[in-house]
Amino acid sequence: MTGIAANNLSVRRNGATLLDGLSLSLGPTGSVAIIGPNGAGKSTLLKVLTGIDRPTAGTVQVGERDLASLSNAQRANTIGYLPQYFEPHWDLGVAELVRLGADRSDRLAAGAIEAVTEKFELTELGRRRWSTLSGGERARVLLATVLVVNPPVLLADEPAASLDIRHRLDVIRALTRRPDRLSVVVVHDLDLAFTFFERVVVIDRGKVVADGPAKSLIDDTRIDEAFSVRFDRLKTPDGWLLRASTGP
Amino acid sequence: MRVWPLLILALLLSILIGAAAGHDWMSPADLLRALAGDTDLRGRLLIDWRLPRVLAAACVGGLLGLGGTVFQGVFRNPLAEPYLLGSAGGAALGATVALLVPLAAPQSFVLPVLAFAGAWGATMLVIGISRVAGAVDAAGMLLAGVAVAAVLGALRSFLMLALSDETASLQIVLSWVLGGVQTPTWPILGLLAAISIACLALTLLLARRLDVLGLGETMAIAFGLNVNRFIAFAVLAGSVVVAAAVAFGGLVAFVGLASPHIARWLVGPLHRPLLPASALVGAIVVTLADAIARSALPPAEIPLGLVTAIAGGPFFILLLARRLRA
Repeated sequence: MTGIAANNLSVRRNGATLLDGLSLSLGPTGSVAIIGPNGAGKSTLLKVLTGIDRPTAGTVQVGERDLASLSNAQRANTIGYLPQYFEPHWDLGVAELVRLGADRSDRLAAGAIEAVTEKFELTELGRRRWSTLSGGERARVLLATVLVVNPPVLLADEPAASLDIRHRLDVIRALTRRPDRLSVVVVHDLDLAFTFFERVVVIDRGKVVADGPAKSLIDDTRIDEAFSVRFDRLKTPDGWLLRASTGP
Repeated sequence: MRVWPLLILALLLSILIGAAAGHDWMSPADLLRALAGDTDLRGRLLIDWRLPRVLAAACVGGLLGLGGTVFQGVFRNPLAEPYLLGSAGGAALGATVALLVPLAAPQSFVLPVLAFAGAWGATMLVIGISRVAGAVDAAGMLLAGVAVAAVLGALRSFLMLALSDETASLQIVLSWVLGGVQTPTWPILGLLAAISIACLALTLLLARRLDVLGLGETMAIAFGLNVNRFIAFAVLAGSVVVAAAVAFGGLVAFVGLASPHIARWLVGPLHRPLLPASALVGAIVVTLADAIARSALPPAEIPLGLVTAIAGGPFFILLLARRLRA
């Protein structure tokens, strides 16, 4: 079992403090939504946890080990990362992209490429090139490319933010419905965060301001403080609806 | 894939055309007789002069195709080109120093080393300038390259003026600047062929990582690539290739830009097929351009670099226009 933990992480860049001594322990499995206002440090946190950006201070622990002590290949196989925007520089084909994702593992499970191709319904996309794909198709290809090595930790930065609601739900389901994986997803849509995720972490100004099971955190007024609005909480048959209050 | 036999056939055909073309046109029958060992004047002209020159042109073209592909891959920019990024200009400056400045070491050693140092130094300078200026996008990189190429060109002109007593060397430098394949002896041709194959092998080692880098720096790091170290290594490898091309063929513009584009259209963007395909396309283009250079205005010879620039300039403008529209 892997899990990932941030220990007193700080990131300062050009005089701005992006993360301010943030500590957070996640996993080893389960689904975690990270929410917070713009500029709270959500994307920065995910990049530091992935090893893309280095923290100014603090450490990241992956399972029993320090992230910095992992080899590049170990890191790439343990932590899957889905960026907010992805646009390959060359117009690769669907199968070529999935193959590139698979190549980062030297112990790829037999049939992994076929399995992921089937799971994300890419068979019929076949030899299509990236530039010819729709937004929903691109999201599926990217998911397949990242998940083909079956990483035990998945960090996703609002990968579905630009999609229509059906495709957004598809992506969120694909990210969260794996009991053997830790899925940490930066989520813009608060309803999705409280409906689909087991745990919700609220980040503001580079710090964790609230953290807990989705069911019990929904009433926490620190969410309202972080977003600087007052939310109306509406119960629906299958989840919660948070609506920014328009009243006085 | 039918593309490969066609590419190789096209190369053989262009070598045949190259051997036939010139002030004195030869027929395929002449070529066959010469290859069969006929040692009359036409046969000697073919075997000792024309064929080595044509094959050298093919090698230089192949190197330019490889260099262009590596630089486009490293910069993730389809407009990157050794000539535009200053690396070819740096190699030419190094070659000029080797030819005009009296140095203790033998020229055959100094020239390729200085050509490499110039190519590498210029490319690192371009990367440095665009990083410092925060202009790491396509346009910023190209502008930095243009600026570096202009300064290097001025330095080269200054050297040529200051040391113009050495008229014989100056002639060689001038032919270098305008681009032109010298006719090599067969042993030198063998060396060039060996270098070309070594460069293909070297760049093929980069192929997979160039593909990963093409996903963008963020994804490349997430996929386990040490991006900074790889870029430094790839620029070094690309500079070796460009230095070899410049040492044997001078400044030949636009082949390094056009070849990867044509090859990408033929075999797709993955670098493992792209590199050899781009080398073949470059070899075909330079062989034909050299044939034009030798035969268009007999008995004079047009510098090869002028032929490729006249043909390649519009190609570059076309690419730029398409990119700006996108």
